[in-house]
Amino acid sequence: MSTESQGLLGWIDARFPLSKMWREHLSEYYAPKNFNFWYFFGSLALLVLVIQILTGIFLTMHYKPDAELAFASVEHIMRDVNWGWLMRYMHSTGASFFFIVVYLHMFRGLMYGSFKNPRELIWLIGMFIYVTLMAEAFMGYLLPWGNMSYWGAQVIINLFNTIPFIGEAVSEWIRGDFVISDATLNRFFALHVAAVPLALLLLVVCHILALHEVGSNNPDGVEIKKNKGPDGIPVDGIPFHPYYTVKDIFGAVVFIAIFSFVVFFVPEMGGYFLEHANFDPANALNTPDHIAPIWYFTPFYTVLRAIPDPFGGFMAMGLSIIVLFFLPWIDRNPIKSIRYRSLLFKINLILFAITFVILGFLGLNPVTLLYQQLALRFTEVYFIFFFVLWAYSEPRSRKFWIGSFAIILGAITFYDLFMNSSDEPILIWQTWVIPAGYLFITLLLPFLTNWDREKEVPDRVTS
Amino acid sequence: MKYNIKFLLLLVISFTICSASMAAGGGNGHLKDYFGKVTINLKNKPSLQRGAKYFVNYCLSCHPAQHSRYKRVADDLGISEELTIKHMIFTGQKFGDLMTVSMKREDAKAWFLGIDPPDLSTHVRAITPQAVYEFMMSFYIDDSRPFGVNNLKKQNTAMPHVLADMQGLQKAVFHKEVHDGVEEEKFDKFETIRSGSLSEEEYKQVVTDIVNFLAYLSEPAQLVRKNIGIGVLFFLALLGSVSYFLKKNYWKDVH
Repeated sequence: MSTESQGLLGWIDARFPLSKMWREHLSEYYAPKNFNFWYFFGSLALLVLVIQILTGIFLTMHYKPDAELAFASVEHIMRDVNWGWLMRYMHSTGASFFFIVVYLHMFRGLMYGSFKNPRELIWLIGMFIYVTLMAEAFMGYLLPWGNMSYWGAQVIINLFNTIPFIGEAVSEWIRGDFVISDATLNRFFALHVAAVPLALLLLVVCHILALHEVGSNNPDGVEIKKNKGPDGIPVDGIPFHPYYTVKDIFGAVVFIAIFSFVVFFVPEMGGYFLEHANFDPANALNTPDHIAPIWYFTPFYTVLRAIPDPFGGFMAMGLSIIVLFFLPWIDRNPIKSIRYRSLLFKINLILFAITFVILGFLGLNPVTLLYQQLALRFTEVYFIFFFVLWAYSEPRSRKFWIGSFAIILGAITFYDLFMNSSDEPILIWQTWVIPAGYLFITLLLPFLTNWDREKEVPDRVTS
Repeated sequence: MKYNIKFLLLLVISFTICSASMAAGGGNGHLKDYFGKVTINLKNKPSLQRGAKYFVNYCLSCHPAQHSRYKRVADDLGISEELTIKHMIFTGQKFGDLMTVSMKREDAKAWFLGIDPPDLSTHVRAITPQAVYEFMMSFYIDDSRPFGVNNLKKQNTAMPHVLADMQGLQKAVFHKEVHDGVEEEKFDKFETIRSGSLSEEEYKQVVTDIVNFLAYLSEPAQLVRKNIGIGVLFFLALLGSVSYFLKKNYWKDVH
């Protein structure tokens, strides 16, 4: 095949690597042929990013980042601007869908070991994207200047107050004022529409470049580059274009259909995508009955609330996100895909997914005595999950399993005996069963059963 | 293995739905039981028009709807410019103006116990139409309040009963209950003390019309967005099937 192009394309190629890039990233980028449902979410995340940028640009044409005008300008967009309501609902729905897609994308990584050698850097860059996205979403949430925008930002920024010695100064520096005010709104606008999106775009480009350098993982966790044909092309690889472009187009249409259903029929999503209290303008004198962060932050918010000490809670919340960065060095099992890992690994992963959802549910609701204990228990499970993941990296002795079971359960019980207080002490011991049961399943079953048996990884992808 | 992953996904999704429905419950339902659920029907133009009439006559003197324009309301509800200017704009404003009130906010605060009457073009969306319905139904005589009335939905409200002429005046009958040693007043029923110009059913209809109009006013795009949505989904279904067969065709050689 000749790589010399003629005409206009030839003129461009002599000056810019257009054909080269096309080949490297699309027509001659060989992706494994066995991608399944879970592999849609990468390209869908890119699609949502585009939706957010385009609708965001239209919103900035009419939005006013001024504490006196912001709320009214959003209503102006909703009522007076042609198709303004559509742009606004697409943007607000897009924010929630971004996180749905990204959480599923990350979970895919967990299932198929996509963060393992040689893809550690892809995972790290991805984590930076995730954290940047959280910052982007948080700052965007202040802009409508509704009462929940105001009080949500108040609660989150006040978290920095808990840092010893410098806390107050830090939160004042973030706000640009002693309270959330016009100055805060203005700088959040600047960061939301310029600084953070630029960082996001740059990180996304790095994420894709790093991916294309090493090639994609797949549901079998087999390196397709290890099995090349005489032409140097991976036997189990197919060119990304046209095969995955047509497949992703289909995925994108299905996704847009679900997205459109929300935009046109349930844009508030029962108060989860657009919180009811946010239809009242920001009011420093009127606190909403119940301040809950938007749903995609609530798992981490629960971790924050689970620890009675404010700074301790802040640290735990930070740690619950930071620990994810280290996944490539926590799960060191050479088998990548869940398909060939042990039954216990699968159970552990399912329990983690359930734990994450329960933490999210708890964060949406006001604290009750029961929820307070449940928050603590599922926070414990959340963190122990990473230990178990590490423990499953290689065969361990019976002594190791019993020892780690005893140490962790001992530490939890010690905390419950001396530091955990509740107005209904019985709840402490009733919910104690949750981490104890989790530890029993994950740390004692490996030697009590043969559920830790792993399967042979095939040489080629299976389907 | 494939089944395992699907099962896992199903588990997570069903759990999410369960927790969402758990989270959606709660709230004080007793007034809803007493008065029933308000029917919001934005296709009922006559109801919206009547609601608009009551709104500009009884609500708009104190509550602004400052994000909405007269013209938009008139256009959406099929009211002519002439009728609107003659019967709906009492402030000398223009047809295309925002529905503000001429009362100064400081005055409003002084008159209504320090409370600025909330803007009704968005507030309804924050508290739901049902809450407004129950609120408008449950004013009762209470001599300890500055305007002589209290409200069961929102205790010690600063708002007078502006529709008293229509509804008349009612008193709330309570009985006492003891819970954990604390005496509580529990609501039994309303009893009419003085009849208004309307029967109970007629008054319910008036409030329903107002709430229906407010539901529209809180988001005028509701009138069109679902219809557009049906078209969009229909188009996507078509595009989806085309792209499915395109994919299938391209992939037929991949084994």
